[in-house]
Amino acid sequence: MSSISAQGVVERASAELSKRINGLGLRGSKHHSAKGSVMERVTNVFCGGGAAAPEKPSRLAARARPGPAAAAAQRRPRPPPQYLSWEQLMLDEKFLGKFFMYFSACERCVLARVCTRWRDVLYRSPRYWTGLVPVLQCRELRGAQGNERTRLYSSLLRRGFHNLCLMGASDEDAIDLVNSFPLASKHIHTLSLRCSSITDRGLESLLDHLQALYELELAGCNEITEAGLWACLNPRIVSLTLSDCINVADEAVGAVAQLLPALYEFSLQAYHVTDAALGYFSPKQSNSLNILRLHSCWEITNHGVVNIVHSLPNLTILSLSGCSKITDDGVELIAENLQKLRSLDLSWCPRITDSALEYIACDLNQLEELTLDRCVHITDIGIGYISTMLSLSALYLRWCSQIRDFGLQHLCGMRNLQILSLAGCPLLTCSGLSSLIQLRHMRELELTNCPGASKELFDYLREHLPRCLVIE
Amino acid sequence: MPNIKLRSSDGETFEVDVEIAKCSVTIKTMLEDLGMDEEEEEVVPLPNVNSAILKKVIQWSTYHKDDPPPPEDDENKEKRTDDISSWDADFLKVDQGTLFELILAANYLDIKGLLDVTCKTVANMIKGKAPEEIRKTFNIKNDFTASEEEQVRKENEWCEEK
Repeated sequence: MSSISAQGVVERASAELSKRINGLGLRGSKHHSAKGSVMERVTNVFCGGGAAAPEKPSRLAARARPGPAAAAAQRRPRPPPQYLSWEQLMLDEKFLGKFFMYFSACERCVLARVCTRWRDVLYRSPRYWTGLVPVLQCRELRGAQGNERTRLYSSLLRRGFHNLCLMGASDEDAIDLVNSFPLASKHIHTLSLRCSSITDRGLESLLDHLQALYELELAGCNEITEAGLWACLNPRIVSLTLSDCINVADEAVGAVAQLLPALYEFSLQAYHVTDAALGYFSPKQSNSLNILRLHSCWEITNHGVVNIVHSLPNLTILSLSGCSKITDDGVELIAENLQKLRSLDLSWCPRITDSALEYIACDLNQLEELTLDRCVHITDIGIGYISTMLSLSALYLRWCSQIRDFGLQHLCGMRNLQILSLAGCPLLTCSGLSSLIQLRHMRELELTNCPGASKELFDYLREHLPRCLVIE
Repeated sequence: MPNIKLRSSDGETFEVDVEIAKCSVTIKTMLEDLGMDEEEEEVVPLPNVNSAILKKVIQWSTYHKDDPPPPEDDENKEKRTDDISSWDADFLKVDQGTLFELILAANYLDIKGLLDVTCKTVANMIKGKAPEEIRKTFNIKNDFTASEEEQVRKENEWCEEK
């Protein structure tokens, strides 16, 4: 075909076409005389009426008649397929709606900046934005024009966001949100304040305004005092995170214990919190509080653990990551008293030894996830205890520097294990690691910084564990 | 197996097994609506698909004719783009213009599987690109005003994963 000129093709095609149309029409009319000629009907379907070649559809025409198929559909049982040019397809709502599903929420943020049509299609549907949180850079916003913030707030509603993070917020920013985002009172359920100089006053007016708020995070808010928390925490809050706020200590936990009876999830990172604070939780909270994370609370000792197990017996998720004074005795208390635990994080607790793992393996029968990163005293014996835990599906052993191939042999018996990290374990050899192919249910295997892991090993693992994500 | 003739926009006729042609919902619907008998020697004109593209479409449909029907999409779930079969990947090693024309044809002929795999390929092409590069690739006009563009930048650059 390529050797023939375009003109030639057209001429040949049109001659051919008329020949066949005639033939078809004759034969067609014999069989389907009631419905008109086949060619006529075919042409109607494909060209949208008339035997002439289809008019090249223009964007303007498509806009002028919102349903180009509608008029034609009255004559035919089903609307004819509409041919779209590339330009039209790139603006076609139905196509774009499907096309955008091939992207993650993060990737869609770039797509929304391509043109107004893409933005409008994307902004219309909250389903495109789940998993994201809008983070307002308050310092940059301060230089903005008068109504820019208002437009920003309304775009949040358009996209169906119910969460909001303010970065670097001052009291003025808080007041601005209260004044120029009235609908936030109904629509914002989750608020984070990060690295903010906001004071107790600003926080109080914000929380007064946000009447639908049930999840609050304060991170790096060094002006907030414990008195401020006493003044503004309200009982609607079921999830609270306090981290890296210099004034947060025992009294803050007291306020949380007193003022938030429905608290379900509490995450605290505070160097100055002591054992005493962990005894403050109220009887109501002992039922409601399921998730407790104490990150790098350096002062906490086994006495603090005593308080936790007595006041919060229903915990299902507990993290003591970086609570470095905790020892095996503390873990024994946890294993004996918190039998509903499904997830336990003891990473960066360097005093933990194999005995702690024996307690865990004996008593925590419902445990699904165990994190022991940087527990440097753990040996293959401890791994042997853990390997008897049938419910365990995720195990993290990053930088547990004493684990050897022998420990891995124990792990290979854990048929339910789906996630395993051995990142940074220096003593594991290539042959030891290759035995991991016995773990048939594995979904994720992390082997970063393992000196024993070679290129060949990764190929071998991927070949034998095709459903598993192997992280180099 | 009965055959059907498909004629491309440039007048070339392709004889195809009816069952393969019916991979296209558009053709299938048309045959049903018009009550065309399969014994008939019909020629279906496809005035929007040229012979080069139609050839590719037929090649794809022939290879995939025995595929099980694709599962119903979960409308709200992000679709993977890293699961293109090696045959499809080879099949789609074509220049960008051809790839775009295949999308247009798959969309027009309503061939779900082909549209799916071509969309995946194009999605992979633009992942990681900046808005301006995407506009260039797709020949889309930037119709934002300067202030709208700044606004939409903030609205989207200021989003993080939870």
